[in-house]
Amino acid sequence: MATAPPVPAGVLTIGSVSLKPAQEYEVFRPFANFVAANLHEVEIGRGRVVVVGSLSQMVEELREGRVDLFIDSPFPAAFVWKHGDTRPLLRRWKRGSDSYRSVVFARADSGIDSLDDLSGKIIAFGEPFSTTGFLMPKAALASGGLRLVNYEDPAASIPDDRVGYVFSNDAENTMFWVLKGKVAAGAVNADYFEALAGGRIGELRILHTTDEVPRNVVCVRNSLDQQLVQAIEKVLLEMHLSEEGRAALEAFEETTKIDRFPRGSEQDLADIMMLLPHVEEDLGR
Amino acid sequence: MKRTSGDEIAGEVGLVRLGLRGRFVAFVSAIFIAFGVVLTALAVRAQNDHLRHELEDRGKLLTTVIAANTTDALAMLEVSELRRMIAEARDQENVLEVVTFDEDGRVFTDGTVENPRRHELISEAALRHVAGSEALLVEFDGDAMIVTKPVHLGGSVLGGVRLRYSLASLAEVQASLARRTAMVGAIFALLGVLAAALLTEAVTRPLNEVIQATRALSEGEPVPRLPVRTADEVGELAEAFNEMTRKLRDTTVSRDYLDRVLETMGEGLVVTGPDGTITRVNSAVCSLSGVGEEELLGQNCRDLFRAPQGHVSLLDALGPDGSAHGLETELLARGGEAVPVMVSVGAMEEIAGRARSYVVVAADIGERLRHEQQKDEFVTMVHHEVRAPLTAVRGAIGLLEGGVAGELGERGQELVEIALRNSERMGRLVNDILASRKLDSGRMEFHYEQVEMMPLVEQAIDSTSAYAAKHEVRFKLDEGVPGAMVRVDPDRMIQVLTNVLSNAVRFSAAGDVVTVRASRHDELLSVAVSDAGPGISEDFRDHVFEAFARGEHEDWRHRSGTGLGMSISKGIIEELGGAITFETELGAGTTFLIDIPESV
Repeated sequence: MATAPPVPAGVLTIGSVSLKPAQEYEVFRPFANFVAANLHEVEIGRGRVVVVGSLSQMVEELREGRVDLFIDSPFPAAFVWKHGDTRPLLRRWKRGSDSYRSVVFARADSGIDSLDDLSGKIIAFGEPFSTTGFLMPKAALASGGLRLVNYEDPAASIPDDRVGYVFSNDAENTMFWVLKGKVAAGAVNADYFEALAGGRIGELRILHTTDEVPRNVVCVRNSLDQQLVQAIEKVLLEMHLSEEGRAALEAFEETTKIDRFPRGSEQDLADIMMLLPHVEEDLGR
Repeated sequence: MKRTSGDEIAGEVGLVRLGLRGRFVAFVSAIFIAFGVVLTALAVRAQNDHLRHELEDRGKLLTTVIAANTTDALAMLEVSELRRMIAEARDQENVLEVVTFDEDGRVFTDGTVENPRRHELISEAALRHVAGSEALLVEFDGDAMIVTKPVHLGGSVLGGVRLRYSLASLAEVQASLARRTAMVGAIFALLGVLAAALLTEAVTRPLNEVIQATRALSEGEPVPRLPVRTADEVGELAEAFNEMTRKLRDTTVSRDYLDRVLETMGEGLVVTGPDGTITRVNSAVCSLSGVGEEELLGQNCRDLFRAPQGHVSLLDALGPDGSAHGLETELLARGGEAVPVMVSVGAMEEIAGRARSYVVVAADIGERLRHEQQKDEFVTMVHHEVRAPLTAVRGAIGLLEGGVAGELGERGQELVEIALRNSERMGRLVNDILASRKLDSGRMEFHYEQVEMMPLVEQAIDSTSAYAAKHEVRFKLDEGVPGAMVRVDPDRMIQVLTNVLSNAVRFSAAGDVVTVRASRHDELLSVAVSDAGPGISEDFRDHVFEAFARGEHEDWRHRSGTGLGMSISKGIIEELGGAITFETELGAGTTFLIDIPESV
C-alpha cells in the first residue's frame, strides 16, 4: 500500500499590509496554501500569511526574513523595494487588467482648466492606500509642483499656494463630491471614470491623466533561496494554467494571472520609483 | 306505475324530478354553500385587504426607516455609505429596487457596486412631491408599490429614498388563502349537505309517514295513528291527518250505514245528474221497476217516471229550489206496467256553483190507492146500503113512535125511543163518515158567501141548545163581534161551530155553562168555546184532531160522539182558510179556538 509522501517542514510566508488583518488573512490564505502546496519539491510544506499594519513594519518583516513574498500595488511595492531587502519579481493582473492609471477631473463649469488651477482649492482623493485614488494622482500633482496638504473638512479654506486634499474614501463619493461642488476636483481610477460620470460626463472636465503603472507587483525577499525563488516564480507563472490555480487566483482579489514585467521590473516600475518620493511619507505612515 | 318513494323519476319524460327531500336538501345545501361562499369571500376580501395594507405598511415603514438612516449620508454626500445602506435595504424581503437621490432627483446609488442607475432622474411627479413635502408618496405599478420618502434637513431638501416594493407576494398569499378558503368552502358545502340531509330527514320523515299513511288509506289498509312529534306545522299536519282519518272513518261508517239503510228502505231511491241521468238506484227501485241496477244506471229518469200531470218531465215539476214533495206519478216498470208512486225530489249541490244532482224518493202508493178505492167503495156502500135503509128505518121508527102502528105500551115506547136514538146516532155516524171521506178525497163542496159572523155563531148555539138542555148544560155568549164579516160556506161554518159546541156539551157536567166568546184580533175573527170539563189528558192532546180519536174518560164515554167530529171540523175550517186550536187544563176545562179571516 502506497503512503503519501511526508509534508515538508518548510514554510513560505506571504506578507500584506492592512488595518483589517483578519479579512486580509482570509484573502491571502487560499493563495498562500496553493503556492506552498506546489513547492514541496523545494521543501516548502505550507503557506503562511503575515499581515502588518504599515509598510514600515513590512519592510522590517522582509528585512528580518520573516516574510518571503510581498504582493501589493506598485507604490507599496516600490516602497519596500526601496527600503527593504526585496526586489520586484512578477506582475500581477487584477480583474483582467495588467495596469491602471488615474484621472483628475473637475466640473466643466468650475473654471478649473488645469492642475495649476487647483491651487487654493480642495481635491478629493479616494482611500489613503489607493494607488489610483490617491497615490498616483497625488504624486502626479506633486510632481507638477503643486503643494498638497491634507484637510479633514472639504469646506476648509485653502491658501492659494496650496492644494488641499480630502479623502472621500470611495470613488463614487469623489465623483459626486465633484459633481455636487463639494470639492473642486477629484481623482479616480481612469477605468471607472466614465462609468462613474455616466450621463453627466459632459459636466466634467479631465484635468490630468496619469501614466499607466503595473496593476500589482509580487516582491520577493532578496535573501530567499534562489532555487526556491525560481520554484515560486514557476508556480506563480503557471497558476492561471490550471483550474485549481485559477480558482486560487480568483479567490485572491480576482487575480487574473501573474506574469513577468514585459520590459523588466526596473523599466516598468521606473515611473513609480520616480514618483515615489511624493508619496513616501503617506506610504510610510 | 307504482310509486315507491318521494324521490321518483318521471320515466315518461326522462326528467329527474326532485322530491321534497331532494328539493329541501338542494335548497338548504344551496343556502349553506351560498352562506359559505359569501362568508369566505368576505373573509378572503377582508384578509386580502388586511394583507395588502400590512404589506403596504411594511413597505412604507421600510422606506421611512431607510430615509431616516440615510439623512446624514445624504447631507454629507457619503455615497459609499448610502450604497452600503441601500445594499442592506435591497436584501429586505419584497424590495425590488431602492435608490437614494439628491434634491434634483438624480440617483446617487441603487446599492450595487455597478450602480447602473447612477445619475438617473426619478419621475417628475416624485420630484415635485419631494420638493414640497416630507410625506410619503405612494404609487402603484402593477404588482409593485413605489414609495418615495423625501429627506429634508433644516428646511432644505436633501433628496430622498425611492423604494419599489413588490406586492406579488400578496398574490402568493392570496392564492394560498384562496386554496385554504376553497378548502373551507368545500368543508362548508359538505357540512351544508350533511346538515341539509339531517334537517331534511327530520322534516320529511313525518311527511313520509303522512304519505305512507295516505297511501295505506287510499288502498284501504289500516291506518295507524301518526305520532305528533313536534308542535310546529309538521306536527299540525300529523294532527290534521289523524283528525281527517278519524272523520273519514266516521264518514265511511256512515256511508256504509247509509248504504244499508238505502238498500233496506221500502221506498225507491234514484239519484240523477243535472240532466236526469240516473247515477244510482237502490234495490227498491229495481223491485218496483223490475229492472236491474246495471240497466237503470245511465238511463234518464224521464224514462223511469211518468211526467206528473201538467209537466213534461219529473224534473220539470220541481220548484225553484230544485225540490218537490208529494208528487203523485207513476213509475214505468218493465213490461209497460205503471206503478203509482208518490215522489219527493231533493236537489243536491255538492259544490257551490256546480250543477245539481237530484235525489228522487219514490214510495209505492199502489196499496194506498187500493185502500182509498176500497174506502170509496165502502163509503159508496155505506151511502147506498146503510144510509138509505137507515133513513127508512128511522122513518119507520118515527111512524111507530107517532102511533101509526097503534098505541105502544110503556115498554114499547121505551124500546122505540132506544131504536130511534140509536138510529139517529148511526145516521150521524154515517154522515160523519161520508163528510170525512169527502174531505179526504177533496170532494166536499163549499159554497162561499160573504156573511156576518155573529148570526152564524148564534145559529150554531141555537142548533145545539136542545142537545145542551138535554144534558143540563147551558150556553153563555159572553162577547161578540157585531157586524164582522167572513167569507165562508155558512153551512160548513155552522157545522164546525156546532161540532165544537156539542163537543163542549159532551164534556160538561150537568149544570155547567159553556161559554162562547167571539172576538177580533190581527185581522182574524176568533170564536172561543170554553167548557169546564175534565180537560184533555197530556197523552191525548196530539190526537184530538185525528179521526176516530176518543178520550179515555170513562165517565164521559157515554157522551162520546162518532170520533170524527173534531177531525172533520179541522178539515173544514182549514179549507175555509182558518184554523182550529185548543187550550186545556186538566180538571179546569178546555177552550177550542176557531180563527177565521175577517172579510172586509
